[in-house]
Amino acid sequence: MLEPLLGSTNAERALIFIQARGEGYAREIALFFETDLYGIQKQLDKLEVGGILVSRKVGRTRLYVFNPRYPFLAELQALLAKALTFYPETTRTDLTMNRRRPRRRGKPDEANLADDAA
Amino acid sequence: MKPISQMTQLELAAYVHDHLRQQGIDVVLSGGSVVSLYSQNLYVSKDIDLVNVAFTRQAKLRKAMASIGFAERERYFRHSDSKHIVEFPSGPLAVGEEPVRDVQEVTLETGSLRVLSATDCVKDRLCAFYFWDDLQGLEQAVLVAQQHAVDLAEIERWSMVENHVEKFIQFKERLE
Repeated sequence: MLEPLLGSTNAERALIFIQARGEGYAREIALFFETDLYGIQKQLDKLEVGGILVSRKVGRTRLYVFNPRYPFLAELQALLAKALTFYPETTRTDLTMNRRRPRRRGKPDEANLADDAA
Repeated sequence: MKPISQMTQLELAAYVHDHLRQQGIDVVLSGGSVVSLYSQNLYVSKDIDLVNVAFTRQAKLRKAMASIGFAERERYFRHSDSKHIVEFPSGPLAVGEEPVRDVQEVTLETGSLRVLSATDCVKDRLCAFYFWDDLQGLEQAVLVAQQHAVDLAEIERWSMVENHVEKFIQFKERLE
C-alpha cells in the first residue's frame, strides 16, 4: 500500500508492524508476514540508519521501536495509522489483538486449555 | 598541523569538518562532543557525531574520510592514530520535532567547526531525558546550562511542544 512511497514492501511491513504493536524484531515481523528474514533485517537496518527507528538488545534479540527524536515521527505515524485501516480486517486484528499482558512461566496456554476441554 | 594522535576530540572534529567542507560536504557537530565544548571539557565523549545535514551519500563520505586515513566499519569511522570514533547521523538537523536554525561556528587550532548552539545542545541532551528517562542526558543538559548562557524561556517553549513540561521543571529545579 505504501510501497510506492517507501520504495520497499518490506519497509512497509516493518513500519506497519511496529506502528501496530509499538515494537518488533526481525524474526517476528518476517514470520507474521510470511516473508524472508534477511529482507526485513535489511529494511530495519536502513530505517535505523535513517533515524526513523532505534533498537536495543533484549537477550539475543534486537528490538526495534520508533525513534522519538525523528522530527517527522508524528506525521509518519499518522500516515501509518491511516494505512493500517486499509489493511484486511484479519491482518489488522492479528496485528493489534496479540496477547501483551503477562502470563506466568509454565502456565498452559489458552489454546491448549481449549483443546483439553474439547 | 598537529598530528592526529595529539588532537583532542574537538580538534579532530574540526579537522574532519574542514576537510569535508573542502569536498563540498556539509556537516554539523551534535551529540555528546558539543557538551564537551560548552562545559569546558568537564564532560568528554569518545564519539564525534557529525550530522550529515545535506544528505551526502555514504559512498562520498567514505571516499572523503579515506583520503585522510579514516576507515569505515559498520558506518563508524576510525583512524589508527586516534581513539575517537566519527559517525555521520543522517539529517535533518533537528532537536525533537523542530529543525535547528541557529548553527554556531567556532575556530580551533585544527580548523573551524559548525556546532549546535548551547541552547540547542541543552535541548538535544534533554531529548534523551524526555524520551528515554536518560539521567545522563539530564546531567549533561544541567552541566551545559550551568557553564554557558542558554535561553531558558526558549527551552521551556520547546519542552511544551514536545509535551514534557514536567521534566523541564525537573531540569529547571536542578539549575536553582
